[in-house]
Amino acid sequence: MAGSAGGDRHRSRPGLVRAHLEAIATAARRLLEPPMTMPIPDYGDARVPGYRGVVLFDYDKCIGCSLCAQICPARAIKMYRVPGDKRLRPGYNVGRCIFCGLCTDICPTDALSESIVHDRVYDDVPSMDMDPVDWAVWSRRVLEEERKPGRPLLRARVDPERGLVYERVDAEGGPVAEEKGEER
Amino acid sequence: MDPIAWLSGSLGVPYWAVRAVAAPLVYPGLAAFMVVALFIIWAERKIAARVQMRVGPLYVSRRLGGALQVLADGVRIAFQEIIIPVGVEKWSFVLSPILAFTVVSLAFTMVPGGPGIYGFRSSLSLLATYAIVTLTPILVIVMGWASNNKFSYIGAGREALVSITGEATLLASLLAAAMMYGSMDFVEIVEAQMRSHVPGLVANPVAALLFFIAALLVTDRLPFDLVLGEQEIVQGPYTEYTGLLFALSMALGYAKLYVLMLVFTHVFLAGWAPFTSPLLGSIAVFAKTLLLMLVAVFLRSVYGRMRLDQVASMFWSKLFPLALVAFVVSALIHPIYAP
Ligand code: SF4
Ligand code: SF4
Repeated sequence: MAGSAGGDRHRSRPGLVRAHLEAIATAARRLLEPPMTMPIPDYGDARVPGYRGVVLFDYDKCIGCSLCAQICPARAIKMYRVPGDKRLRPGYNVGRCIFCGLCTDICPTDALSESIVHDRVYDDVPSMDMDPVDWAVWSRRVLEEERKPGRPLLRARVDPERGLVYERVDAEGGPVAEEKGEER
Repeated sequence: MDPIAWLSGSLGVPYWAVRAVAAPLVYPGLAAFMVVALFIIWAERKIAARVQMRVGPLYVSRRLGGALQVLADGVRIAFQEIIIPVGVEKWSFVLSPILAFTVVSLAFTMVPGGPGIYGFRSSLSLLATYAIVTLTPILVIVMGWASNNKFSYIGAGREALVSITGEATLLASLLAAAMMYGSMDFVEIVEAQMRSHVPGLVANPVAALLFFIAALLVTDRLPFDLVLGEQEIVQGPYTEYTGLLFALSMALGYAKLYVLMLVFTHVFLAGWAPFTSPLLGSIAVFAKTLLLMLVAVFLRSVYGRMRLDQVASMFWSKLFPLALVAFVVSALIHPIYAP
C-alpha cells in the first residue's frame, strides 16, 4: 500500500474542512429541492409539433405510382404485387425506416402520413416487414391507438431559473391551465 | 409501569432472566432493529434520490412516499430461491451469514436501550460490545472465501484490510472516551454525562469524530464502501448470496451501524439524557440513534468512494495519530466527569 500520492493530496490542503462542509451543504440544499425527473408512468411525454413517427399507409388513397419506394433513402419501402390488384402497392419495413418523412412528402395522393409513435414492440423481426395489406391494417390500429385518450401529457421546458420544468399540455400541444403535476 | 417486572411476575421467572431475553429480542434488539432497518433503507434510497433530483421509491404505498417499498422488497427476497452455486464450500457458505448476524445481535444484550433497559450490565460492556462487533469481519472473510468467486475473494481481502484499519481507530477513540469517563460501563458513562451536564461530544469532539468516521468504515458506508464496491466487485463477499441469506448479509451492515450508533449515542450524546424514566429515556435514545443513522446514510449522497490505499493511508497516517490527540484531550478534561 504505497498510497502516499492519494494521501498527500489531502494533507494540509487549505480549506479542507470547508470543502467538506460545502459538499455536505450542497447535498442538503439539493435535498429540499423538488425532483426534476418526469413522472413517466403517470404522465406521457407530449410530442413536439412536426414529430416524425412510423409511417402510416392508407390503401384506398394509393394510386400505385411507386414514388415512395424510389425516394426512400433507407429502402424501407418496397413495391409488392398484391393478388387481385393490377397495380404494385408499397410494403413497409419498420426496421429499416429512419423516419425521414420523404415518402410522405412525395406521395401525390397523401396516402402516406406520419404518426406520432415510433416506440412500438414487435413480436419478431419478420413482423416488422409488412406487405401492403398488413401495413394498411396495422396503420389503422396505430391510428386508433393514437386517438384513444391516454395519460395526461407533460412537456419539458428548460427554465433559466428553475431548471427543467414540466407543464401540462393537451393532445394538440396547447397548454392546460392551472392543473399542475401531482405533488411528490 | 414496568413491563419487565409484570412479565417476570406473571411467568414466575427471575427479573434478570426476563430482561436478558427481552432486551436482545425486543428493544433495543431485533424487533426494534427490524423497524430501524426498514425505515433507514427507505430513507437512504429516498435521500439519495432527492439529492440527485429524482423521486425515489414511490409506487409501493404512494401516500407514505413509498415507505413500504423496503417491506415489499423484503417479502420478495424472502420468497426467492436460495441458490447454492456448485463450486462453493457449502456449509461455510450457508452458515457464515447466519452466524455473522447472530454475533452482531449478541451486542444487543450489552448495549442499553434506555435507563434500565439492557440485557446484562457489566463493568466492561463497552469493550465487550466492541469485541462482538469486530468479530464479524472474520465471518465475512469466510463468506468471501467460501463463495469461490473472484469478486468475493477481492471483497474478502478488502474486508480484512478495512477491518484492521478501521478497528484500530474505533478502539482508540472508544478507549479515549472510556478514559475520560473512567468507566467502561454504558450506564455509568451516561450517568457521568448527566451528572456534569456535558455530553461527550462537547468534551471530546476529536474522539467523537474519529468514532463516527471509523464506524462508517467498519459498516461499509460511503465514502468507505470498498468491501461492497458495487461498480467494481458487484457486491463483494456477498456476491453469490440470494434470497434470505442475501437479506441477512445486507442486514449485517445495518445491524452493525445500528449497534455502533447506539454506542455513539451513549458515549458521546449522553444516552437517555435529559430523561430518567424508562419510557422517555428509551425514546430519547432511539431518536438520537435514528438521527445519527440518518446522517450516516445521508453521507452516501455526498461522497464518492475512496481508493483502498487512500483509505489505509488516511486512517493510519492521520486519523490514528489524531486518536492520540483524543487521549490527551481526555486526560485534560477528565476531572469534570470525576464523581
Ligand atoms: S420515412 Fe423515410 S425511411 Fe421511412 S419509409 Fe419513408 S422515406 Fe423511407
Ligand atoms: S407514393 Fe403514395 S400513391 Fe404512390 S405508391 Fe407510394 S403510397 Fe401509393
